[in-house]
Amino acid sequence: MAGILKYLAGVETPKTLVFGITGKQGRSKSRLMRKFGTEIIAGCTPGKGGQEVDGVPVFDSAAEAVNAFPQLNSAVLFVPAGAVRKAAIDAVDAGLKFLVLTADGVPTQDEIVLKEYVSTNDSVYLGPNTVGLLDTEGYLFGLIGGSATWARKNYRPGKVGVISRSGGLSQLLGAFHCRPNLPGPRADGSYGPLWGEDYPGLSAVVCVGGDPVPGISMLDAATAFEKDPRTEVMAVYGETGTTQENDLAEAVMNGGITKPIVVFLGGKFTKAGVSQSHAGAMIRNENETWKAKQKALLDAGITVVERPDAVFSAVLGKLKKS
Amino acid sequence: MSALPEYRTRILLERENVPLVNGVFVSPGEEHPSDLPEMPVYLKAQIPGATSRKSSGLVRRVATTEELEENLSILLSPGEWGVAEGVLIAEGLDLTAEYYAGCMLDFGSKERLPGGMLLFSTEGGSGVEGRSATLLKMRFSLLHPPPPEEIESELKKLENLEEHAAVAGFLKGMISTFIEYKLNVLEVNPLGVLKDGSILAVDCRAEFEKSAVRKRDMDVFYPPGLRSSRDITKLEEVVELINRDDPSGTGFFRQNRETPSEGAFRVATNLCGGGGKMLWEMTTGSRTDIFTMNESDTSGGLSAFKSYRILRVILAQKDAQVLLLTGSGMAFQNQHHLAAAVWKALRESPTPLPSLLRFGGTDEDKARELFERVSGTLPVPVKTYPAVVFPNAMVDDIRDMAGETVKIGEAYITPEGEPAITVLIPPGKIYYYPERWQKDEIPPSVKACPTGFLKWNKNALTTDPEAKCIGCLMCETAALLDGNAEILIELEMPEVVD
Repeated sequence: MAGILKYLAGVETPKTLVFGITGKQGRSKSRLMRKFGTEIIAGCTPGKGGQEVDGVPVFDSAAEAVNAFPQLNSAVLFVPAGAVRKAAIDAVDAGLKFLVLTADGVPTQDEIVLKEYVSTNDSVYLGPNTVGLLDTEGYLFGLIGGSATWARKNYRPGKVGVISRSGGLSQLLGAFHCRPNLPGPRADGSYGPLWGEDYPGLSAVVCVGGDPVPGISMLDAATAFEKDPRTEVMAVYGETGTTQENDLAEAVMNGGITKPIVVFLGGKFTKAGVSQSHAGAMIRNENETWKAKQKALLDAGITVVERPDAVFSAVLGKLKKS
Repeated sequence: MSALPEYRTRILLERENVPLVNGVFVSPGEEHPSDLPEMPVYLKAQIPGATSRKSSGLVRRVATTEELEENLSILLSPGEWGVAEGVLIAEGLDLTAEYYAGCMLDFGSKERLPGGMLLFSTEGGSGVEGRSATLLKMRFSLLHPPPPEEIESELKKLENLEEHAAVAGFLKGMISTFIEYKLNVLEVNPLGVLKDGSILAVDCRAEFEKSAVRKRDMDVFYPPGLRSSRDITKLEEVVELINRDDPSGTGFFRQNRETPSEGAFRVATNLCGGGGKMLWEMTTGSRTDIFTMNESDTSGGLSAFKSYRILRVILAQKDAQVLLLTGSGMAFQNQHHLAAAVWKALRESPTPLPSLLRFGGTDEDKARELFERVSGTLPVPVKTYPAVVFPNAMVDDIRDMAGETVKIGEAYITPEGEPAITVLIPPGKIYYYPERWQKDEIPPSVKACPTGFLKWNKNALTTDPEAKCIGCLMCETAALLDGNAEILIELEMPEVVD
């Protein structure tokens, strides 16, 4: 069965190029990705073409890598924030369909330029400021899990699709749906194990990132999960800033998304105009407030919870109904 | 986002050949330049982010040299406005019209691509957004910015504007500046029209992101030697210095400026990641009995060395009653390493706090085990939580913990001996005490090094130049727990915080 990338980017079997593979972060995260199952075919670091990292050949540009390995269809960028724009354009120009931009602190103007640039191409990108994407079919882009052993232990195949604007909560929502006997508040008000050994499990985790101008949006991710036959319920972490939650609500309202969704909505006490850990959480107008988003989501029939541990019993409720 | 005052915004505009009113900048303590504009002139105190400068007395018109000397001296001295970076002495011109021009970011929508937004109004002054009849809003591409002809054609839709071509050329220069320096906001207000029809920027300002500043422009965005006029506390400044000498990961710290309500528990927090911060905010945002003394975010693969140093700052907050540490529950940072940093900070801080610690992520069990092992030697009570217990449950324990400030155990006393070897790992020093390890086997501290940086060679400590110290504190932790304190680490703070 194809993973979520088929529906996000039209990529059935990812063959991946790693930008910045010769750096400390790129090298260690490439090992994590490979151990998890991602097929990394080549690396790219300008000026270091001809080298090898753990047996992976390194090229000076994406075009050279694609020339040598035409099967390449995706890339992950472990490059500094200031280098993301150039590297991403290089990858798009080389015809790579799916990119993951992990860096935090990419200038907003660069994010806007990238968004415009890919609008005239077939490529899509996740991020910036994302921990990436993990699919329980056996591939991982970015740094989810920290280590392959931890990722394999915590992310198991199942029915829940996770979408999140926070790296930590992407990982948490994904892993806790795969934890046997997870304790939490139950629908009847008691506290205890929500399920036994038969946890709901996970189809994929998609972290759209915490920046103000994301490539793949929450709605794009939800649209992919809607098409993904493994996914029965979506568990979402949303927050203030941007209109992503509002767009998701509108799509549900219009019938474009029909699968049940549970949203943990953060930022209830966030004040307008105040900088946050996530740059994208800053409130710029009335539509981006917690209240406006909560209303939009509830009006669309989406379940909204205000405690993270309430997500899991709500998801369980949806699974029982479906 | 940071603000750029007028005199520094002028430098950017000038580089893009945007015409400006004549002006000379004078910084505090500097001799007055001889090439001053002709009288009358405007004296403008330069304070980043200051608004309504005229009504606050930060902009003054002077007509004589005596008035200039007197007012310059006032504006260069500390006042109600704080300390100005300096004063811009600008030529007083006879303007026939004053316009407004601005560039900002348009974040787009589901239907519309993001880009830039050009604003222009034939009325200067504040509140331009409300004057829709005279306001031009023109979206533009940052990738393919519009040529002057396109801007001119848009300007022709406005009534009461004659200088279409000149204004279009000016706005083109503004857009170039906006894009070249990746600004978030660039405003010229007013944009003045002279009798001969020429136009120039009379006043201007900008906003920018730190991450968008190129190295070669640092002198404009962060002038060397500039005294900070920012709202920053001493402890926040220390964290900035820590970030400067150890840029790994995220190290964010901001103290709460509000006053706690009477009887509220004052909680110092070490929150890990945006998710950890948001979990805590959602848990306590509506509670008046919990006062969060600081926001923080330590995440993104920072070392235990850095965690320790930031924790020392967090613990140094006056009147804090409890330390609460939580991440999202699935951190990247090895939780055993983080626990070692917390243990060290509680041992070494003169103001340790009763602590509630939630560990979640790689080696989270080891993190909790560490505190189980050392519970008898801690100077304060510590309670640890697994990731499945969320902050809303931790909050219920704050009341009990805040009351317990007595010393509950004997502090760890290290054996006698002098260090024979010092390994420099800035900002740290690893000390090795051979007298404390006389056994004929590899000491636990060396065995605990995860990278192979510390080596054991013929009963002596050595280091592998090919391997790296990752600042995990595992050597010292093992020395104290399983060895004989044969290795100790001293981590420098940029300034004394306690």
